[in-house]
Amino acid sequence: MKSSRIVLVVSLTAAVGLPGCSQSQPIVAPVEVVVQPSTVELPDDPLDARWDSVVAFPAALIPQDMVEPRQLRVSTREVRVRALSDGVRVAFRLEWSDATRDDMPMPAAFTDACAIQLPAAISADVPAPQMGEPDRSVEITLWRASWQATVDGRGDTIQDIHPNAVPDHYPFEAASLESGSDIQRAMQQRYAPARALDNPMSGPREQPVEDLIGHGPGTLAPAATTSSTGRGKRVADGWAVVVTRRLPEGLASGKRTQVAFAIWEGGSEEVGARKMRTGWAPLLLEVKP
Amino acid sequence: MARVKNWQLGREMSYWYPESRPKKQFAAIFDTNKCIACQTCTLACKTTWTSGRGQEYMLWNNVETKPYGFYPLGWDVKLLAELGSQQWNGSVYEGRTVFEAARPGERALGWRPGEQDYAHPNVGEDDCAGNIDKGAAFAGVHMAWFFYLARICNHCTYPACLASCPRGSIYKRPEDGIVVLDQSRCRGYQECVKACPYKKVFYNPMTGTSEKCIACYPKIEKGLQPQCFVNCIGKIRLAGFISQPEDANPDNPIDYLVHVRKLAKPLFPQLGLEPNVYYLPPVHVPTQFSQQMFGPGVEHAVREYMHADADLAGLLGLFGSTEQIVPRWKRTGDFVYGLAEDGTELVKVPLREPIHERLALDPKFDVMRTNCP
Repeated sequence: MKSSRIVLVVSLTAAVGLPGCSQSQPIVAPVEVVVQPSTVELPDDPLDARWDSVVAFPAALIPQDMVEPRQLRVSTREVRVRALSDGVRVAFRLEWSDATRDDMPMPAAFTDACAIQLPAAISADVPAPQMGEPDRSVEITLWRASWQATVDGRGDTIQDIHPNAVPDHYPFEAASLESGSDIQRAMQQRYAPARALDNPMSGPREQPVEDLIGHGPGTLAPAATTSSTGRGKRVADGWAVVVTRRLPEGLASGKRTQVAFAIWEGGSEEVGARKMRTGWAPLLLEVKP
Repeated sequence: MARVKNWQLGREMSYWYPESRPKKQFAAIFDTNKCIACQTCTLACKTTWTSGRGQEYMLWNNVETKPYGFYPLGWDVKLLAELGSQQWNGSVYEGRTVFEAARPGERALGWRPGEQDYAHPNVGEDDCAGNIDKGAAFAGVHMAWFFYLARICNHCTYPACLASCPRGSIYKRPEDGIVVLDQSRCRGYQECVKACPYKKVFYNPMTGTSEKCIACYPKIEKGLQPQCFVNCIGKIRLAGFISQPEDANPDNPIDYLVHVRKLAKPLFPQLGLEPNVYYLPPVHVPTQFSQQMFGPGVEHAVREYMHADADLAGLLGLFGSTEQIVPRWKRTGDFVYGLAEDGTELVKVPLREPIHERLALDPKFDVMRTNCP
């Protein structure tokens, strides 16, 4: 582990624009992160005071209006991004305004969410920012408020959504079945087909984030494993979320890659391709003398 | 958008994908005049497929009372209102389908039911909606009318759920045309729930994925009819495979009723999905209502049904007569035969069941049989 002070710079292209910034602020600004030697862990709590000393970048969001279903209405306009790295992993702290907490899994209800996207390979010729391309993939880490609620302790029964609900009977809870036995658990699995097929979407969850691979619109697929971690909390006017993932391979101090962000406002029925997003923004990992 | 042929509309239409018909197309016919809304079909499906967590509210099969009942609430009238007034010109549809009426940025015109819309299936829908004049029951015509509409996924030729999924998680099985949702690929965007005009895709909040009727394909693969068919008390259902109109085979019971006799009609064909569940329209419902729900030709269908000849009456007797799929049929004299593809007899049904009069008094034991089994 390097003991030097490493600075991760997140900057945004002029094309993305910076609404909300005053004229006196530079269009491209560094985010300086002072990383303690190996003994220091990256803060995983979005309310950790250490984030206060990290410069935030206001990343302008635009509607995803390239592929159906398109987002044709502007909702969340900006996400404020801070980033820290310990030389091995990188922690992004995203904060955005959202008047409503949307984290309940219900029909016609959608969860607040955010995502961080990086090219799978560092190259000057970046993949399309819209989920990558067939031969140039992107790596995405997705955080969902509904997953956070589950990780924070909410169960996944109907009573956790509707406390007064009274289901008649579940076959896998028949008195003749020993609770927790292999037979009982296998039977319960059969009545949750997505879980039976190991769809990572279907829980149960240990992390509120999922690592994904994209090869273009509609191709999103789970990574072999999710090594990223995350934690989100409600703040005064919205969400603050820390997503920690491994540094992109080959991103050494002083080198650049690209990064993009997306925000879903569940209360506006944003899900999947219906989202607010940024274009690619340069991401610089810098060593300070 | 591609241009595809939809024979139910009598014209080509726009669809998200090019025309690609399966080798065989699963189809079904429901006789609305025989349904008593006992919901045995609903429970047969429920206990077979949707007894898990997150599936509590799901009814892949439901029976609702028309025109008062809906599951989910207002599923058809809401979409019809969104679509607006459209026109048929004879058997050619001159209006817009849900694909042609899609709003900017969308793949199909649709709406997404809220949780409350699923909350009260069948509640209140059989209650009398108004006063019935004294003597109305004897007037010779129904002063008030209703009928029971049993519904499953229509396993459409042009499914809106399939078209709307941005991930391609829904597909038609090439071997039988059954529309299935890949549970390993779905990410729960609910676009399919929004797009399906029949509202036969359901979101499972516990697994975060959407689920739908699979036409009991494990049974279909064994040549058997689905659970909701074989458990039907009223014997209103027949499952099989349908041909294109130009390839109609009179020996195929589905083809015979849909194409040859033109008795069985699709549900809301004007929406453009070419649904593959067909209905024998109710005989006592105002024609305008039936036309809106089942398309042109309902008057002919009702007339034929009311004056069924031996072939027709016999074929209707095959409904619910066997668990096996009956791909061929024939009538010989007073019997109707359900046949396998090779002509083997699967079931034999009399045109008319013999009448046995059971006297109230048992002469042997000299006891009254009243109320005795």
